[in-house]
Amino acid sequence: MTRLRPDAGAKGGGNPAYVNARIRSRRASLLDESDYRKLVRMGPDAISRYLEETEYEREMNELGARYRGVDLIEYALNANLSRHFQDLLDWSDGQLYDQLVRYLRKFDTWNIKTILRGIYTDTPRDEIEADLISAGEFTKRDLDRLLEAQSIDDVIERLSGTIYYDPLIDAYDEYEELNLLVPLENAVDRAMFEHMISGIDVETGPASRVLERHQQWTGSPAALFREFLAAEIDLLNVRNALRIAKSGSELDPSSYFIEGGRLFSKRELGLLTGDLDGLVATIRDSVYGEKLDDALAELEDAESLLEVEQAIDRALVEYGDLLGSRYPVSVCPIIAYVLAKELEVQNVIAIARGREAGLSEEEIREELVMP
Amino acid sequence: MLELLTDPVLLEAASNEHDVAVAEAWSEAIRVGAAALSVGLAALASGYAERQIGAAAVGAMAEDPSTFGRGLILTVLPETLVIFAIVVIFLV
Repeated sequence: MTRLRPDAGAKGGGNPAYVNARIRSRRASLLDESDYRKLVRMGPDAISRYLEETEYEREMNELGARYRGVDLIEYALNANLSRHFQDLLDWSDGQLYDQLVRYLRKFDTWNIKTILRGIYTDTPRDEIEADLISAGEFTKRDLDRLLEAQSIDDVIERLSGTIYYDPLIDAYDEYEELNLLVPLENAVDRAMFEHMISGIDVETGPASRVLERHQQWTGSPAALFREFLAAEIDLLNVRNALRIAKSGSELDPSSYFIEGGRLFSKRELGLLTGDLDGLVATIRDSVYGEKLDDALAELEDAESLLEVEQAIDRALVEYGDLLGSRYPVSVCPIIAYVLAKELEVQNVIAIARGREAGLSEEEIREELVMP
Repeated sequence: MLELLTDPVLLEAASNEHDVAVAEAWSEAIRVGAAALSVGLAALASGYAERQIGAAAVGAMAEDPSTFGRGLILTVLPETLVIFAIVVIFLV
Protein backbone atom coordinates (compact mmCIF):
# COMPACT_ATOMS: atom_id res chain seq x y z
CA MET A 1 0.00 0.00 0.00
CA THR A 2 2.87 2.27 0.58
CA ARG A 3 5.31 1.14 -1.99
CA LEU A 4 3.57 2.08 -5.18
CA ARG A 5 4.81 5.45 -6.27
CA PRO A 6 1.92 6.13 -8.62
CA ASP A 7 2.73 7.04 -12.17
CA ALA A 8 4.98 9.79 -10.96
CA GLY A 9 7.56 7.07 -10.46
CA ALA A 10 7.47 6.19 -14.11
CA LYS A 11 9.76 8.96 -15.25
CA GLY A 12 12.66 7.74 -17.32
CA GLY A 13 13.18 4.28 -18.67
CA GLY A 14 14.71 2.89 -15.50
CA ASN A 15 17.82 0.77 -15.34
CA PRO A 16 17.07 -2.47 -17.17
CA ALA A 17 20.74 -3.07 -18.01
CA TYR A 18 21.74 -3.27 -14.37
CA VAL A 19 18.81 -5.40 -13.27
CA ASN A 20 19.18 -7.70 -16.26
CA ALA A 21 22.84 -8.34 -15.54
CA ARG A 22 21.97 -9.31 -12.00
CA ILE A 23 19.03 -11.55 -12.81
CA ARG A 24 20.95 -13.34 -15.54
CA SER A 25 23.44 -14.39 -12.95
CA ARG A 26 20.67 -15.49 -10.60
CA ARG A 27 18.86 -17.31 -13.33
CA ALA A 28 22.02 -19.29 -14.00
CA SER A 29 21.99 -20.49 -10.40
CA LEU A 30 18.49 -21.99 -10.67
CA LEU A 31 18.34 -25.75 -10.32
CA ASP A 32 18.78 -27.64 -13.55
CA GLU A 33 17.59 -30.97 -14.79
CA SER A 34 20.36 -32.97 -13.14
CA ASP A 35 19.50 -31.36 -9.80
CA TYR A 36 15.88 -32.40 -10.26
CA ARG A 37 16.94 -35.94 -11.17
CA LYS A 38 18.79 -36.15 -7.87
CA LEU A 39 16.02 -34.50 -5.87
CA VAL A 40 13.26 -36.88 -6.98
CA ARG A 41 15.25 -39.78 -5.59
CA MET A 42 15.72 -38.19 -2.16
CA GLY A 43 13.59 -38.21 0.97
CA PRO A 44 12.53 -34.93 2.64
CA ASP A 45 15.56 -34.82 4.94
CA ALA A 46 18.00 -35.44 2.14
CA ILE A 47 16.28 -32.74 0.11
CA SER A 48 16.72 -30.30 3.02
CA ARG A 49 20.40 -31.12 3.22
CA TYR A 50 20.79 -30.79 -0.52
CA LEU A 51 19.10 -27.39 -0.51
CA GLU A 52 21.37 -26.21 2.28
CA GLU A 53 24.22 -26.41 -0.19
CA THR A 54 22.48 -24.35 -2.85
CA GLU A 55 21.05 -20.91 -3.28
CA TYR A 56 18.57 -21.65 -0.45
CA GLU A 57 21.21 -22.03 2.25
CA ARG A 58 20.47 -18.76 4.02
CA GLU A 59 16.74 -19.36 4.41
CA MET A 60 17.20 -23.02 5.33
CA ASN A 61 19.50 -22.00 8.16
CA GLU A 62 17.30 -19.14 9.32
CA LEU A 63 14.16 -21.23 9.51
CA GLY A 64 15.85 -24.50 10.46
CA ALA A 65 15.34 -23.87 14.16
CA ARG A 66 11.60 -23.32 13.86
CA TYR A 67 10.44 -25.88 11.35
CA ARG A 68 11.49 -29.23 10.12
CA GLY A 69 10.88 -31.68 7.33
CA VAL A 70 8.75 -30.65 4.41
CA ASP A 71 7.41 -27.58 6.24
CA LEU A 72 10.94 -26.27 6.53
CA ILE A 73 11.49 -26.77 2.81
CA GLU A 74 8.26 -25.06 1.92
CA TYR A 75 8.74 -22.03 4.16
CA ALA A 76 12.40 -21.64 3.29
CA LEU A 77 11.66 -21.73 -0.41
CA ASN A 78 8.87 -19.20 -0.07
CA ALA A 79 11.10 -16.93 2.02
CA ASN A 80 13.81 -17.20 -0.60
CA LEU A 81 11.30 -16.27 -3.29
CA SER A 82 10.26 -13.19 -1.31
CA ARG A 83 13.85 -12.13 -0.83
CA HIS A 84 14.72 -12.42 -4.53
CA PHE A 85 11.65 -10.57 -5.70
CA GLN A 86 12.15 -7.83 -3.10
CA ASP A 87 15.66 -7.48 -4.48
CA LEU A 88 14.24 -6.92 -7.95
CA LEU A 89 12.14 -4.06 -6.63
CA ASP A 90 15.04 -2.61 -4.67
CA TRP A 91 17.30 -2.56 -7.70
CA SER A 92 14.97 -1.14 -10.27
CA ASP A 93 13.72 2.36 -10.72
CA GLY A 94 11.74 4.54 -13.10
CA GLN A 95 9.48 2.82 -15.55
CA LEU A 96 11.05 -0.55 -14.89
CA TYR A 97 10.11 -0.35 -11.22
CA ASP A 98 6.61 0.59 -12.17
CA GLN A 99 6.26 -2.41 -14.48
CA LEU A 100 7.74 -4.83 -11.99
CA VAL A 101 5.64 -3.69 -9.08
CA ARG A 102 2.56 -4.10 -11.21
CA TYR A 103 3.60 -7.61 -12.09
CA LEU A 104 4.64 -8.64 -8.60
CA ARG A 105 1.25 -7.58 -7.32
CA LYS A 106 0.20 -11.08 -8.13
CA PHE A 107 1.82 -12.01 -4.82
CA ASP A 108 -0.35 -9.45 -3.07
CA THR A 109 -3.38 -11.15 -4.51
CA TRP A 110 -1.96 -14.48 -3.40
CA ASN A 111 -1.57 -13.09 0.10
CA ILE A 112 -5.05 -11.58 0.20
CA LYS A 113 -6.56 -14.83 -1.00
CA THR A 114 -4.54 -16.82 1.52
CA ILE A 115 -5.69 -14.59 4.36
CA LEU A 116 -9.31 -14.76 3.20
CA ARG A 117 -9.15 -18.55 2.97
CA GLY A 118 -7.41 -18.76 6.31
CA ILE A 119 -10.09 -16.74 8.04
CA TYR A 120 -12.82 -18.61 6.20
CA THR A 121 -11.47 -21.93 7.49
CA ASP A 122 -10.56 -20.60 10.97
CA THR A 123 -6.88 -21.36 10.51
CA PRO A 124 -4.60 -20.04 13.27
CA ARG A 125 -2.76 -16.87 12.43
CA ASP A 126 0.73 -18.46 12.53
CA GLU A 127 -0.20 -20.97 9.90
CA ILE A 128 -1.64 -18.33 7.61
CA GLU A 129 1.42 -16.16 8.10
CA ALA A 130 3.78 -18.96 7.14
CA ASP A 131 2.05 -19.28 3.78
CA LEU A 132 2.35 -15.63 2.84
CA ILE A 133 4.86 -14.58 0.24
CA SER A 134 5.89 -11.06 0.88
CA ALA A 135 7.09 -10.16 -2.57
CA GLY A 136 4.58 -7.62 -3.77
CA GLU A 137 3.56 -4.10 -3.05
CA PHE A 138 2.36 -4.78 0.50
CA THR A 139 4.97 -4.28 3.18
CA LYS A 140 5.39 -6.53 6.17
CA ARG A 141 3.37 -4.06 8.22
CA ASP A 142 0.52 -4.06 5.74
CA LEU A 143 0.39 -7.84 5.87
CA ASP A 144 0.43 -7.83 9.67
CA ARG A 145 -2.48 -5.45 9.68
CA LEU A 146 -4.41 -7.78 7.38
CA LEU A 147 -3.53 -10.79 9.53
CA GLU A 148 -5.00 -9.09 12.57
CA ALA A 149 -8.42 -9.05 10.92
CA GLN A 150 -11.04 -11.18 12.65
CA SER A 151 -13.51 -11.71 9.85
CA ILE A 152 -13.83 -11.54 6.08
CA ASP A 153 -15.45 -8.10 6.10
CA ASP A 154 -12.77 -6.91 8.50
CA VAL A 155 -10.14 -7.91 5.93
CA ILE A 156 -12.01 -6.03 3.25
CA GLU A 157 -12.27 -2.95 5.47
CA ARG A 158 -8.54 -3.06 6.10
CA LEU A 159 -7.94 -3.09 2.36
CA SER A 160 -9.71 0.21 1.87
CA GLY A 161 -7.63 2.58 -0.17
CA THR A 162 -6.16 -0.20 -2.30
CA ILE A 163 -7.22 -1.28 -5.74
CA TYR A 164 -8.90 -4.36 -4.25
CA TYR A 165 -11.39 -2.54 -2.06
CA ASP A 166 -14.10 -1.60 -4.54
CA PRO A 167 -14.18 -4.92 -6.40
CA LEU A 168 -14.32 -6.79 -3.08
CA ILE A 169 -17.21 -4.67 -1.84
CA ASP A 170 -19.03 -5.39 -5.09
CA ALA A 171 -18.44 -9.11 -4.75
CA TYR A 172 -19.34 -9.25 -1.07
CA ASP A 173 -23.09 -9.69 -1.61
CA GLU A 174 -22.51 -12.68 -3.83
CA TYR A 175 -20.20 -14.14 -1.22
CA GLU A 176 -22.84 -13.78 1.46
CA GLU A 177 -25.45 -15.31 -0.79
CA LEU A 178 -23.40 -18.36 -1.80
CA ASN A 179 -21.19 -18.53 1.26
CA LEU A 180 -18.35 -19.36 -1.13
CA LEU A 181 -15.05 -17.53 -1.43
CA VAL A 182 -14.93 -17.84 -5.21
CA PRO A 183 -16.54 -14.44 -5.98
CA LEU A 184 -14.13 -12.66 -3.64
CA GLU A 185 -11.12 -14.46 -5.04
CA ASN A 186 -12.14 -13.64 -8.58
CA ALA A 187 -12.66 -10.02 -7.63
CA VAL A 188 -9.10 -9.83 -6.27
CA ASP A 189 -7.61 -11.48 -9.36
CA ARG A 190 -9.53 -9.34 -11.75
CA ALA A 191 -8.61 -6.13 -9.94
CA MET A 192 -4.96 -7.08 -10.16
CA PHE A 193 -4.93 -8.00 -13.83
CA GLU A 194 -6.99 -5.08 -14.93
CA HIS A 195 -4.74 -2.64 -13.10
CA MET A 196 -1.66 -4.35 -14.38
CA ILE A 197 -2.70 -3.63 -17.91
CA SER A 198 -4.45 -0.32 -17.66
CA GLY A 199 -1.39 1.61 -16.56
CA ILE A 200 1.00 0.47 -19.23
CA ASP A 201 1.75 3.18 -21.67
CA VAL A 202 2.07 1.62 -25.07
CA GLU A 203 1.07 4.80 -26.84
CA THR A 204 4.70 5.72 -27.28
CA GLY A 205 5.61 2.88 -29.57
CA PRO A 206 4.32 1.84 -32.95
CA ALA A 207 2.35 -0.70 -30.99
CA SER A 208 -0.58 1.51 -30.16
CA ARG A 209 -2.57 0.09 -33.05
CA VAL A 210 -5.74 -1.69 -32.16
CA LEU A 211 -4.83 -5.23 -31.35
CA GLU A 212 -6.35 -8.16 -33.05
CA ARG A 213 -6.27 -11.79 -32.36
CA HIS A 214 -3.14 -12.84 -34.21
CA GLN A 215 -1.34 -9.60 -34.14
CA GLN A 216 1.91 -9.28 -32.30
CA TRP A 217 2.93 -6.21 -30.42
CA THR A 218 6.28 -4.97 -31.52
CA GLY A 219 8.45 -2.05 -30.68
CA SER A 220 8.93 -0.52 -27.31
CA PRO A 221 9.69 -2.56 -24.18
CA ALA A 222 6.42 -1.38 -22.69
CA ALA A 223 4.65 -2.87 -25.67
CA LEU A 224 6.48 -6.16 -25.23
CA PHE A 225 5.55 -6.18 -21.57
CA ARG A 226 1.95 -5.60 -22.58
CA GLU A 227 2.22 -8.48 -25.01
CA PHE A 228 3.51 -10.77 -22.33
CA LEU A 229 0.71 -9.84 -19.96
CA ALA A 230 -1.85 -10.46 -22.69
CA ALA A 231 -0.36 -13.92 -23.14
CA GLU A 232 -0.55 -14.57 -19.43
CA ILE A 233 -4.18 -13.47 -19.30
CA ASP A 234 -5.06 -15.52 -22.38
CA LEU A 235 -3.49 -18.62 -20.94
CA LEU A 236 -5.26 -18.04 -17.63
CA ASN A 237 -8.56 -17.73 -19.48
CA VAL A 238 -7.75 -20.87 -21.45
CA ARG A 239 -6.97 -22.73 -18.25
CA ASN A 240 -10.19 -21.62 -16.58
CA ALA A 241 -12.24 -22.36 -19.68
CA LEU A 242 -10.75 -25.84 -20.00
CA ARG A 243 -11.36 -26.55 -16.35
CA ILE A 244 -14.97 -25.48 -16.59
CA ALA A 245 -15.51 -27.32 -19.87
CA LYS A 246 -13.89 -30.44 -18.51
CA SER A 247 -15.83 -30.47 -15.29
CA GLY A 248 -19.05 -30.03 -17.22
CA SER A 249 -20.35 -27.77 -14.48
CA GLU A 250 -22.95 -25.12 -14.93
CA LEU A 251 -20.72 -22.29 -13.72
CA ASP A 252 -20.96 -19.15 -15.74
CA PRO A 253 -17.56 -18.88 -17.44
CA SER A 254 -17.91 -15.19 -18.09
CA SER A 255 -17.69 -14.48 -14.37
CA TYR A 256 -14.18 -15.94 -14.49
CA PHE A 257 -13.22 -14.04 -17.58
CA ILE A 258 -10.34 -11.62 -17.28
CA GLU A 259 -10.23 -8.70 -19.68
CA GLY A 260 -7.07 -7.76 -21.48
CA GLY A 261 -6.15 -10.85 -23.41
CA ARG A 262 -6.41 -11.02 -27.15
CA LEU A 263 -7.52 -14.57 -27.78
CA PHE A 264 -11.12 -14.48 -26.66
CA SER A 265 -13.77 -11.93 -26.02
CA LYS A 266 -16.04 -12.53 -23.09
CA ARG A 267 -18.86 -13.65 -25.36
CA GLU A 268 -16.70 -16.03 -27.38
CA LEU A 269 -15.40 -17.69 -24.29
CA GLY A 270 -18.92 -18.10 -22.98
CA LEU A 271 -20.00 -19.77 -26.21
CA LEU A 272 -16.99 -22.04 -26.41
CA THR A 273 -16.97 -23.28 -22.87
CA GLY A 274 -19.76 -25.77 -23.44
CA ASP A 275 -17.84 -27.16 -26.38
CA LEU A 276 -14.47 -28.68 -25.53
CA ASP A 277 -13.60 -29.52 -29.16
CA GLY A 278 -14.35 -26.01 -30.32
CA LEU A 279 -12.27 -24.58 -27.52
CA VAL A 280 -9.30 -26.80 -28.37
CA ALA A 281 -9.60 -25.87 -32.05
CA THR A 282 -9.61 -22.16 -31.22
CA ILE A 283 -6.52 -22.49 -29.05
CA ARG A 284 -4.79 -24.52 -31.72
CA ASP A 285 -5.42 -21.79 -34.31
CA SER A 286 -4.01 -19.08 -32.07
CA VAL A 287 -0.45 -17.84 -31.62
CA TYR A 288 -0.09 -20.26 -28.73
CA GLY A 289 -1.16 -23.27 -30.80
CA GLU A 290 2.33 -24.38 -31.73
CA LYS A 291 3.53 -24.43 -28.14
CA LEU A 292 0.50 -26.23 -26.80
CA ASP A 293 -0.01 -28.58 -29.72
CA ASP A 294 1.33 -31.75 -28.13
CA ALA A 295 -0.45 -31.11 -24.89
CA LEU A 296 -3.72 -30.45 -26.66
CA ALA A 297 -3.41 -33.74 -28.54
CA GLU A 298 -2.87 -35.38 -25.19
CA LEU A 299 -5.97 -33.67 -23.84
CA GLU A 300 -8.06 -35.05 -26.68
CA ASP A 301 -6.72 -38.55 -26.16
CA ALA A 302 -6.15 -38.95 -22.47
CA GLU A 303 -8.72 -36.50 -21.22
CA SER A 304 -6.26 -35.31 -18.62
CA LEU A 305 -5.99 -31.64 -17.84
CA LEU A 306 -2.71 -31.91 -15.98
CA GLU A 307 -0.61 -32.15 -19.15
CA VAL A 308 -2.29 -29.10 -20.61
CA GLU A 309 -1.88 -27.06 -17.48
CA GLN A 310 1.81 -27.90 -17.34
CA ALA A 311 2.16 -27.13 -21.03
CA ILE A 312 0.51 -23.78 -20.34
CA ASP A 313 3.02 -22.99 -17.60
CA ARG A 314 5.88 -24.01 -19.84
CA ALA A 315 4.50 -22.04 -22.77
CA LEU A 316 4.38 -18.94 -20.63
CA VAL A 317 8.02 -19.21 -19.56
CA GLU A 318 9.07 -19.87 -23.15
CA TYR A 319 7.04 -16.93 -24.33
CA GLY A 320 8.75 -14.73 -21.76
CA ASP A 321 12.14 -15.96 -22.92
CA LEU A 322 11.21 -15.36 -26.53
CA LEU A 323 10.22 -11.79 -25.82
CA GLY A 324 13.34 -11.41 -23.71
CA SER A 325 15.59 -12.44 -26.55
CA ARG A 326 13.80 -10.14 -28.92
CA TYR A 327 14.41 -7.20 -26.62
CA PRO A 328 17.15 -8.24 -24.19
CA VAL A 329 17.48 -5.03 -22.23
CA SER A 330 13.90 -4.67 -21.10
CA VAL A 331 11.50 -5.90 -18.48
CA CYS A 332 10.84 -9.15 -20.38
CA PRO A 333 13.86 -11.24 -19.29
CA ILE A 334 13.14 -10.14 -15.72
CA ILE A 335 9.58 -11.40 -15.94
CA ALA A 336 10.84 -14.64 -17.47
CA TYR A 337 13.14 -15.00 -14.47
CA VAL A 338 10.28 -14.37 -12.05
CA LEU A 339 8.30 -17.15 -13.73
CA ALA A 340 11.22 -19.56 -13.81
CA LYS A 341 11.95 -18.97 -10.15
CA GLU A 342 8.31 -19.48 -9.24
CA LEU A 343 8.25 -22.74 -11.16
CA GLU A 344 11.40 -23.93 -9.44
CA VAL A 345 9.94 -23.29 -6.00
CA GLN A 346 6.73 -25.06 -7.01
CA ASN A 347 8.69 -28.02 -8.35
CA VAL A 348 10.87 -28.48 -5.30
CA ILE A 349 7.88 -28.25 -2.98
CA ALA A 350 6.04 -30.76 -5.17
CA ILE A 351 8.98 -33.15 -4.95
CA ALA A 352 9.24 -32.81 -1.18
CA ARG A 353 5.50 -33.22 -0.64
CA GLY A 354 5.39 -36.09 -3.11
CA ARG A 355 8.22 -37.94 -1.42
CA GLU A 356 6.61 -37.37 1.95
CA ALA A 357 3.37 -38.86 0.67
CA GLY A 358 5.28 -41.83 -0.70
CA LEU A 359 4.70 -41.20 -4.42
CA SER A 360 6.99 -42.98 -6.82
CA GLU A 361 9.68 -41.16 -8.76
CA GLU A 362 7.66 -41.51 -11.94
CA GLU A 363 4.56 -40.00 -10.40
CA ILE A 364 6.52 -37.07 -9.02
CA ARG A 365 8.25 -36.47 -12.32
CA GLU A 366 4.87 -36.13 -13.97
CA GLU A 367 3.98 -33.34 -11.59
CA LEU A 368 7.05 -31.27 -12.38
CA VAL A 369 7.00 -28.43 -14.85
CA MET A 370 10.38 -28.25 -16.48
CA PRO A 371 11.02 -24.99 -18.24
CA MET B 1 62.47 55.10 -51.86
CA LEU B 2 59.29 57.04 -51.53
CA GLU B 3 58.30 55.77 -54.94
CA LEU B 4 58.64 52.27 -53.72
CA LEU B 5 56.26 52.84 -50.81
CA THR B 6 53.65 54.39 -53.03
CA ASP B 7 54.04 51.88 -55.84
CA PRO B 8 50.55 50.45 -56.28
CA VAL B 9 51.81 47.02 -57.30
CA LEU B 10 53.94 46.67 -54.17
CA LEU B 11 51.19 47.97 -51.94
CA GLU B 12 48.87 45.40 -53.41
CA ALA B 13 51.38 42.66 -52.60
CA ALA B 14 51.77 43.80 -48.99
CA SER B 15 48.05 43.79 -48.31
CA ASN B 16 47.81 40.40 -50.03
CA GLU B 17 50.37 39.04 -47.61
CA HIS B 18 48.29 40.38 -44.76
CA ASP B 19 45.19 38.78 -46.17
CA VAL B 20 46.97 35.49 -46.56
CA ALA B 21 48.18 35.64 -42.97
CA VAL B 22 44.66 36.34 -41.73
CA ALA B 23 43.24 33.55 -43.85
CA GLU B 24 45.87 31.14 -42.57
CA ALA B 25 45.14 32.07 -38.98
CA TRP B 26 41.48 31.46 -39.60
CA SER B 27 41.99 28.10 -41.23
CA GLU B 28 44.24 27.03 -38.38
CA ALA B 29 41.57 28.08 -35.91
CA ILE B 30 38.90 26.19 -37.79
CA ARG B 31 41.05 23.05 -37.99
CA VAL B 32 41.84 23.11 -34.30
CA GLY B 33 38.19 23.80 -33.51
CA ALA B 34 37.01 20.92 -35.70
CA ALA B 35 39.49 18.55 -34.07
CA ALA B 36 38.37 19.66 -30.62
CA LEU B 37 34.74 19.21 -31.62
CA SER B 38 35.34 15.73 -33.00
CA VAL B 39 37.20 14.58 -29.89
CA GLY B 40 34.52 16.11 -27.69
CA LEU B 41 31.69 14.46 -29.58
CA ALA B 42 33.49 11.13 -29.58
CA ALA B 43 33.98 11.38 -25.82
CA LEU B 44 30.31 12.16 -25.33
CA ALA B 45 29.28 9.22 -27.50
CA SER B 46 31.56 6.81 -25.69
CA GLY B 47 30.27 8.08 -22.37
CA TYR B 48 26.73 7.41 -23.57
CA ALA B 49 27.68 3.93 -24.72
CA GLU B 50 29.49 3.15 -21.49
CA ARG B 51 26.52 4.17 -19.41
CA GLN B 52 24.54 0.97 -20.00
CA ILE B 53 27.58 -1.29 -20.20
CA GLY B 54 28.88 0.09 -16.94
CA ALA B 55 25.53 -0.41 -15.23
CA ALA B 56 25.35 -4.00 -16.46
CA ALA B 57 28.97 -4.65 -15.48
CA VAL B 58 28.38 -3.37 -11.96
CA GLY B 59 25.28 -5.55 -11.76
CA ALA B 60 27.22 -8.61 -12.85
CA MET B 61 30.04 -7.82 -10.43
CA ALA B 62 27.61 -7.45 -7.55
CA GLU B 63 26.43 -11.01 -8.18
CA ASP B 64 29.85 -12.46 -8.94
CA PRO B 65 32.97 -10.44 -8.10
CA SER B 66 35.08 -12.62 -10.40
CA THR B 67 33.56 -10.84 -13.40
CA PHE B 68 35.45 -7.67 -12.50
CA GLY B 69 38.14 -8.04 -15.19
CA ARG B 70 35.77 -8.83 -18.02
CA GLY B 71 33.35 -6.17 -16.88
CA LEU B 72 36.08 -3.57 -16.87
CA ILE B 73 37.26 -4.47 -20.37
CA LEU B 74 33.76 -4.42 -21.81
CA THR B 75 33.01 -1.15 -20.07
CA VAL B 76 36.00 0.65 -21.55
CA LEU B 77 35.60 -0.78 -25.07
CA PRO B 78 33.69 2.28 -26.32
CA GLU B 79 36.68 4.30 -25.14
CA THR B 80 38.29 3.30 -28.49
CA LEU B 81 36.02 5.90 -30.04
CA VAL B 82 37.95 8.61 -28.22
CA ILE B 83 41.29 7.08 -29.19
CA PHE B 84 40.32 7.16 -32.85
CA ALA B 85 39.22 10.72 -32.38
CA ILE B 86 42.65 11.60 -30.97
CA VAL B 87 44.21 10.27 -34.18
CA VAL B 88 42.19 12.95 -35.95
CA ILE B 89 44.11 15.59 -34.00
CA PHE B 90 47.38 14.52 -35.58
CA LEU B 91 45.85 14.29 -39.04
CA VAL B 92 44.59 17.84 -39.18
